[in-house]
Amino acid sequence: MPWAVLRNTRIGMAVKPALMAPQCQGYEEESAMIETFHTMQAKLEATPHLLRLGRLFSENVLVQVGDDEIYLTFDKGHLTHVTAGPSRKTPWRFALRTDGEALAQFWQPLPAPGFHDIFGLLKVGRGNIDGDILCLVKNLRFFKEFMALPRAKREDAA
Amino acid sequence: MSIEPITGRYLTVTVEGAPRRIYFEEAGQGRPVLCLHTAGADTRQWRHLMNDAGITANNRMIAFDLPWHGKSLPPEGFETEEYLLTTEAYIETVLAVIDGLGLHRPVLAGCSMGGRIALQLAALHPDKFSGFIAIEASDFQPAWYDIDWFHRPDAHGGEMGAALVSANISPFAPNAERWNTLWMFMQSGPGVFRGDLSFYTKDDSLIARLGDIDTAKTPVHLIVGAYDLTCTPEDAKRTADAIDGATLAVMDKLGHFPMSEHPVGFRPFFVDALKRMPAGGAA
Repeated sequence: MPWAVLRNTRIGMAVKPALMAPQCQGYEEESAMIETFHTMQAKLEATPHLLRLGRLFSENVLVQVGDDEIYLTFDKGHLTHVTAGPSRKTPWRFALRTDGEALAQFWQPLPAPGFHDIFGLLKVGRGNIDGDILCLVKNLRFFKEFMALPRAKREDAA
Repeated sequence: MSIEPITGRYLTVTVEGAPRRIYFEEAGQGRPVLCLHTAGADTRQWRHLMNDAGITANNRMIAFDLPWHGKSLPPEGFETEEYLLTTEAYIETVLAVIDGLGLHRPVLAGCSMGGRIALQLAALHPDKFSGFIAIEASDFQPAWYDIDWFHRPDAHGGEMGAALVSANISPFAPNAERWNTLWMFMQSGPGVFRGDLSFYTKDDSLIARLGDIDTAKTPVHLIVGAYDLTCTPEDAKRTADAIDGATLAVMDKLGHFPMSEHPVGFRPFFVDALKRMPAGGAA
């Protein structure tokens, strides 16, 4: 099992005390990412058309950013819980896996080619999607627009 | 109030031994330029260029909806038919429209699957055309998705298709035109996008024919957008490299539907492409 999976478990803490420093750093990064998703949660609540698009979407979604796992619990389009992983107890319907730098590019107002869409991240080798992909596709506009909520608005560019 | 110069009419031709009632639009006069829409969409993708007086002053822009698309009805008996577009039926339809409209060697401009069939026609029927503009076109693109996603009883294929193809639209595209472009996919008839994708993602017969294209007789110019995830600049370059004498332009800020998603950004590339085509005959 990779270190990335073990590092926040009690076993990992017990047997890897020498790695406490990077672990703390990891917690800070994870905390920042969790905070970003809490901000997205608030933005979603303030975006009526997205709540309408997601009104039939009640699923758990895993977003993995680097080594950090974040579990998102949606209920009828509302994001009710943002939970830091890892967790072996939380089932998820589909997962989006990427890295922090790619996600930062994805959230730019005018991302570079490939970083402008979650499927683009896959195309440029900076992301993976697995699980029940049909469920994602059925709710694709909702999930894409949810993931793009931190993206700053831009003026129409010629 | 404003009334656009585009006019629309219907033409009935025979394809695969049966009548097809085809909707077509045109604007302008001079060299005929026949325009082909992408999969899952229709003639409206060409609305901006057909309303562009600088282009229609010397070019008779014509676009038509493939059967099953836009305002062209599916053939009689469609209710029990599985729509699967084929290279043969697509070619037969384009040639029937040319004959039906009495066009003499038009320039053929096609986007995505329209660009694919333009290259097929460049290889198989070059005598019918004066040149080819292949936009977001490549030799072959296998599907990275399941085309059956887009025709199911438990989900709206059009909305799913639009959400998927939005990945191919540039972030530089004006928001209104992004959504106008996606609306056509949302309106696509049940199973039509899937049937188009069957042609686009399964028929690789063009690969072996690229070497047959004679650009000395009919020039071929490819245009591709950097934000196109479906036909990437690498895909277009590979295709252009396989056609002796073909030229290629890469649009840094555009995606898979350039004439529809970002008409201002696309215009100079299309004007440049038209300049590369022969003056051509009249209709």
